[in-house]
Amino acid sequence: MDAAPALCTLLQSSDKTILESALSCLAMIAVGARGNAVQMDKLCDSKVVEVAMRLLENDGWKSLDDQTLYDILGLLKNLASVSTKAVKSLFDLRVCDLLKQMITYYSRSHSDSHELQMLVEFIYQLMRPLETSDHRTGLNAIIIEQSTYIDQLAGIVTLIIQVAKCGAVSSVCYRCIVVIGNIVELSTPTFLVELQKTANLSSFLTCLLARKNRHVVLETLKVSKTLLKKHHHFFFEAFAKEGVKQTVDAIHAQENHKSKRNSTMQETCVCFDLDSDVSSADGCKIENNAILNLAEEIKKSFLLVKASNKSPHRFGCVIKTIRDFFAQLNGYTITTRTRNPDLCKELSDVSRRLLSDQLPSTSTFTFVKSGSTKHLADYLSNGAYFNSNLNNCQSFVEQLKEVQIRLQKFTHLALMVSNESSEKPLGILVEKLLDALHMCYDSFPVMLSDYELRTRDSTMIPLRHSGNEESGSLYIKFVRACREKELHNYNDVLPVDLYSKPDDIEAVLWPEICESTEDGQSSSRLMFSYKGTKLQPSATFFESLVRLMNKGQSYVMIDPSFWDEEHKISYKRTKVSREISSWSSYNTQLSAMHEKLEQSWLKDPAFCTIFLGKLPGDVDESDPSYDLLFTLKVLEGLNRFSYQLSMDEQISKFAEGCLRDLDDLKVTISPIPQHYFLSSLLTNKLELQMQESLFEDGLIPSWCVYLVETCPFLLSFSTRWKYFCLTVHRSFMADKASTPPDEASPDTEANIAVDVASTPPDETSSDTDEASTDADEASTAKRTKKHKVMRGNILEDAASMMSTHASSNETLEVVFEGEVGTGRGPTFEFYTTVSHELQRVGTGMWRGDNARKPEGETVFLHATFGLFPQPWSSVSSSSRGIELSDVVKKFKLLGHLVARAVLDGRILDIPLSKAFYKIMLGQELDIYDIPTFDPELGKTVLEFQALVKRKKFLETSSERASNPSAYLSYKNVRLEDLCLDFTLPGNPEYELVPGGSEKMVTLDNLEEYVYLIVDATLKSGIDKQIQAFKSAINEVLSLKTLGMFNEEEIERILCGKQDAWASSKLEDHIQFDHGYEVNSQPIICFLEILREFGREEQRAFIQFTTGAPQLPLGGLASLDPKLTVVRKKCDGNVDNELPSVNTCRHFIKLPPYSSKEIMRNKLKYALAEGLGSFHLS
Amino acid sequence: MSSSSSFPTSRFPFAAGGAGAGGPGGGGGSGSSMRPWGSSGGTSVSSSGKRIQKELLDLNASDCSAGPKGDNLYHWLSTIIGPQGSPYEGGIFFLDIVFPLDYPFKPPAVTFKTRIYHCNVDSTGTVSLEILKDGWSPALTISKVLLAIKAIITNPDPYNPLVERIARLYLTDRAKHDEIAAEWTMRFAR
Repeated sequence: MDAAPALCTLLQSSDKTILESALSCLAMIAVGARGNAVQMDKLCDSKVVEVAMRLLENDGWKSLDDQTLYDILGLLKNLASVSTKAVKSLFDLRVCDLLKQMITYYSRSHSDSHELQMLVEFIYQLMRPLETSDHRTGLNAIIIEQSTYIDQLAGIVTLIIQVAKCGAVSSVCYRCIVVIGNIVELSTPTFLVELQKTANLSSFLTCLLARKNRHVVLETLKVSKTLLKKHHHFFFEAFAKEGVKQTVDAIHAQENHKSKRNSTMQETCVCFDLDSDVSSADGCKIENNAILNLAEEIKKSFLLVKASNKSPHRFGCVIKTIRDFFAQLNGYTITTRTRNPDLCKELSDVSRRLLSDQLPSTSTFTFVKSGSTKHLADYLSNGAYFNSNLNNCQSFVEQLKEVQIRLQKFTHLALMVSNESSEKPLGILVEKLLDALHMCYDSFPVMLSDYELRTRDSTMIPLRHSGNEESGSLYIKFVRACREKELHNYNDVLPVDLYSKPDDIEAVLWPEICESTEDGQSSSRLMFSYKGTKLQPSATFFESLVRLMNKGQSYVMIDPSFWDEEHKISYKRTKVSREISSWSSYNTQLSAMHEKLEQSWLKDPAFCTIFLGKLPGDVDESDPSYDLLFTLKVLEGLNRFSYQLSMDEQISKFAEGCLRDLDDLKVTISPIPQHYFLSSLLTNKLELQMQESLFEDGLIPSWCVYLVETCPFLLSFSTRWKYFCLTVHRSFMADKASTPPDEASPDTEANIAVDVASTPPDETSSDTDEASTDADEASTAKRTKKHKVMRGNILEDAASMMSTHASSNETLEVVFEGEVGTGRGPTFEFYTTVSHELQRVGTGMWRGDNARKPEGETVFLHATFGLFPQPWSSVSSSSRGIELSDVVKKFKLLGHLVARAVLDGRILDIPLSKAFYKIMLGQELDIYDIPTFDPELGKTVLEFQALVKRKKFLETSSERASNPSAYLSYKNVRLEDLCLDFTLPGNPEYELVPGGSEKMVTLDNLEEYVYLIVDATLKSGIDKQIQAFKSAINEVLSLKTLGMFNEEEIERILCGKQDAWASSKLEDHIQFDHGYEVNSQPIICFLEILREFGREEQRAFIQFTTGAPQLPLGGLASLDPKLTVVRKKCDGNVDNELPSVNTCRHFIKLPPYSSKEIMRNKLKYALAEGLGSFHLS
Repeated sequence: MSSSSSFPTSRFPFAAGGAGAGGPGGGGGSGSSMRPWGSSGGTSVSSSGKRIQKELLDLNASDCSAGPKGDNLYHWLSTIIGPQGSPYEGGIFFLDIVFPLDYPFKPPAVTFKTRIYHCNVDSTGTVSLEILKDGWSPALTISKVLLAIKAIITNPDPYNPLVERIARLYLTDRAKHDEIAAEWTMRFAR
C-alpha cells in the first residue's frame, strides 16, 4: 500500500514494460483492498485515478493492449466500488465521455466482448444499487449533489440500453438494468420523457421482461415502477403502447399460478453469476413472491389510471389500422390486375402513408400483436403462406407471376424515400421485425454445460470447464408409448451418442421392436417423445432432452447428474404418409419450380421461400419466431434483389408501352445496407454458444445450424466466420481432433479466425505480427508442410504443387528455390505473386484481356469492375496462341489457391468481380449480372431485352397485330443499321451460331441474339473454366459450406481487409490544386475523414471519384492521373454545396466546408447517392 | 457492302505495328497488340469492323471529315473546322479516334490532337462529353459524336468543366476568354 504513490509515478513512464508491471501491481493492491474504504481512499490520494485516466484519455485506450486495459479498468472498478473519492474524481475527469467512446467502439464488433463486459461492470460499480448499505448511499449522494454527474450519466444511458437489448449474457443485462434503474431513480421526469422519445425505454422494458431470468425481470419491474411513480400519466400511455402493461399482466398471472400451486420445484437460478459477492451457497436472493408482489403493485397502479382516465384508448385502433391495411393490400392486388389506374394510385397512397408515416411511430409490440407479420407474409406470397400445398402446375405459373408482381410493388413501396432525411420503410420494417424476434428469446436457447460457472469470477466469459467427465454418451431408456400396440416394447437402456438424432436411433431400434420386416429405408417411422412432448427430428436427443428439462429457464444448464441419469423416452409409430410427403413435396415443388423459372435470380432460396410460402428445412412452424424468420428471409431477398426486381418491372413497363424511352430504363431505388438485417442478440447468443466446450465437440444446437444455413444475414460476419472455422475446419482436419483438446481450444481457433479476417497486408503489420506468431504456433500443431517453388517458373510449380498437395490435411508453406526465407513471409508472398501472375495480360482467363491496351506497357490487367472469366467458344480450343486447356488449368490453380487460402488463412491479391464470387457461392447468374462487370454491354443487352419484350407484347395484343416491327426501333435506329452480327462483342472469333459472322442481327432474331450473348457470357462460354475452378475448390473443401457468406464476405476472407489505401501514405498519392494545399484546413479535415473511412466507405469513395470500385494493382499510388482535390467555387452558402467529381481526370471538387462534421456528412451523402445511381445511369 | 473508295477492304487485316504511328505518347507499345480478327488474312471482317466500315460510308455522305489513319480501320483521324462566329473560327482541329474492339458496345476514344483553349478539353486533349462515357449507346455513331463535339466547341459547358480555370473565366469575363481562345486558335490551329 505504501508503494502506491511510487507506482503511480511509474505509471507515467513511457516504457511499456515498466508501465505494465506498475499497473498490475496497483491492480493487485486494489484487489487486496477490496471492501476497505479507508485503504481505497488512501490509494486515491496518490492520484491513481488521475494517472490511470490519463492513460485512457485521448484515444489512449485504443493503443493499449488488452491486458493493460483490463488492469486499468479493473483498478478503476475496484476503486469506484467503495471509494467515494474515486467516484468523485472520476466524474470530475468526465469518465462518462470516455466510456461512451469505448462502448460505441466495442459494441460495433459484437456486444458481448470482454471489453464491453468490463465496461458494464465498471459503470455498475460507479453506481451501486441504491438500497445497499450506508456508505454506498453516501456515494450516491455525491451523484445526486452534482447535477453535472447526472448529465454525464444521462449521456450514456442510451448506449447502455442498446447493450442490454442485445446482451446474451444475463450478467451484462442485469448490470445494465440496475444502472438504468439508478439513473431513472435519480433523473427528472422531463429527462425521462425525453429518454422515452429518443431511446424508447418502454419497448426496451418489454424486451427485457420477456426474458426468463428472474433477477433481470425483477429489476426491470422495479424500473417500471419507478417510471410510473415519476411521471404516471406519460408512462402509462407509453407502457400501454409498447406492451409493458400486457407483459406485466402476463407475468403476474404466471407468478400467481405458480404460487397457488405452491410448487416445491426449485428454480435453478444464476444469481451467483450476477453479483460477485454472493457465494453460490446462498442460493437465490429473490424471495419467492417478490416478482409477484411487484407485478401486482404495478398492476394496481395501472387500474388506478384506467379508472380516472376518460380518454378513449387508441391502442386498439392502431392495431386495427395496421391489420386492416395488410388485409386491404391483399384485397387490392386482386383488383389491380385490371390495371385500374385510380385504384393503383389509391393503393400506393394508402401504403405510402402507412409505411412511411404510421410505421415509424408504431410500437414493436403493437406491430407484433396486430399480426401484421402474418398478413404481410400472406400478402407477399399470394396466400401460399397460409396454404402451403399448391395443387397443380397451372396455378403454379400463375402464382409465380402474381408473387413477382407483388414483390415488385412492395419493393417499390418499401425502398422509396419520401424525402432526403427520412428512412426507407423497409429499414423500419426490418427493425421492427428484429425487435420482435428478440422478444422470442426462448426460441434460441444457449446451452451451457459449464457447471463450474458458479465459482468463476463474474466478469469472465465462461471458460472451458476442466471436463473430467466423459461427455461421451447419455443413457436413454426407450419405452413403448402407452397407446402403441403394433410395436414391441423395447424397455431397455441404450447409450446414445451426443450427436445422434432420432433417425439414427430409429435405425437401431426398428429391427428390435418391429417383427414385420417392411422395406428398410423409409425414415421417420417412429415418433419419439419425452414426458409427452414430441421431439423434433432435426435436433439431437441430447439437445431436445436438455431443452425440455430446462424449459422456462433463460439458460439451459447441464447438471453433472444429467450424465448418470437414465432418461425415459417413449416411441410410437408415426402416420408415415404425412411426415414424408410434406418434406418430399417441398423438394418436388422446388425442382418443379426451378424448371418453370426463366430468370435464374428467382432461384435464390429467398424467393423459393416466398413462392412456396414455407421456410426450407424442418422447422417448427408453430414457434413464434417462425413468422418473423420467414418474413425477414423474404425481405432480405427482396432487398438484395431489389435491382433485379425493379429492373424487371421497368422492362415490363416498357414492353407494355408505359415507358416510351429506352433511356428511362433505369432503376432509381437503392437497397438498404445489409447490416440492417443483423440481429445483435442472436449474434451474441451464437458467440456465447460457441464458447461452450461441447460446441467444438460437434454438439451444436439445431437453431445454430438452422440460422447459419437459412438466415445467415442475421448473424455478423465475424461470428459466422468463427462458426465456419469451428465446424468446417474441424471436419476438415479430422486427425487434429485427436490431439489434446486444450490445444484446440476455441480461443486459438478464434485467434486464427480473427487473424485472417483482420490482417491487412500492409503497414499495420507491426502489431499483427504478434498475433500471427500465435497463429503460427497453433498451425504448427496442425503440422505444416513446406514446398519448394521456383520464382522463374512460379505458375507451373504452383500448379503442380497444388494439384498434388491441395487436398492435404497439412498447412501448406512455401519456400522459394535458392532463397533462405521460410515461414509466413515467403508463403504470403507466394500467394500474392501467383495471384498477380494470373492477372497478367495474355492469360486468356479474364474479360478485357483481348481489348486494346490504351497505354504501352501494362503487363497486368486492370479490370475496373473486377475480373470475370472471358468466354471461350466451345468450337475452338485455342485463340491467338492461347490454348483453352491452359486457361482451364489456370482456373484449376485459382480454385486450389482460393480453397487453400481460406483454410490456411492466406490472402490473395486478385480483384475478382462480385459476379464471379456469386458463381463461387453457387448462385446462377443472369442478364442482370452483366452490368456489374461490364456496364456498357449490360446496359445495351438489357435495352435489347426490353425491345424484345415490347415486340412480343405488341404481337400478342390484338390491336396492332398488323406489323409491330414497323413501330419498333432501337433509339430511332433500325436494328439492321447497328451492323451487328452473331459474334460475341469484342471477340469476333466467338460465333454465337455456326456461321454467325455472316448472320446479321435484325429485330426478328434479336431475341435469339440476346439469349445467345447472355448464355455465352455467363454460362456456356465460361462453363469449362468454372467447372475446373469449382471442382478444384471441392477437392479441398466443400464449396457448399461457403454458402453462409455473401459475395462481399467471401471477398473479405480471400483478399483480407485490404484497405484501398494505407492511411499514412494518403497525402503522398493525392494532389491538391486550385486553392488547396496539403496543409489547408479543409484538406486536413478531408484526409482525416478519409482515414476514418471503413472499407465499404473507401470503396464507395473510390467508385465515386474514379468511377470504378476497384483501384488498379498497387492501389492509389498507381492511379493515373493522380487523384486530385481541388477547391470548389461556391456562390452561396458553402455548407449547402455537395462535392463533385470528374471521374476521368480523377478530380474531386471539394467545397471548403466550415467544419469537419459537415464535410463528412456531405461526403457521405454524395457517396451514397453516387452508389445508388451506379447501375446503368 | 461495297468497298469504300478510299479504303479497299481487301487490304484488311493489316500488319501489326501500323497502329501506333504518330499516335499518342504510349503508341509505341501497340506493336504487341495484334489485330485480333483471324490471322488468315481472309476477307471476313468482324462485327465491329463491319460497323466501322458502314459508318465510314455514311460519313462520306455527310460534311464531317474523318477516316482511318494509315491502314488501321480502328484508328481514325478527324478534322473539325472552327465554327464560324466562335473564337475558334479559322482553326483546324485534329482529333484522334480510336475504336475499341467491342465497338459499338463501347464508345470510341476521342482526343484532340490540336491544342484548344476550351473548358471541356484538357491539355492532354481529353474531351468531357457525356455520350462518350456513360451516355454511350450503340445507336450513336461517330458522325453524331463529331456533331456533338462541334456543338460543344460553339457552346462550351462551363458547369461541368474539365478545366476549372477556363470555365471560371468563361463565366466571369467572356471577352477575355474569347480573346485567349482566339489567340490559341491562331497559335496552334493554323
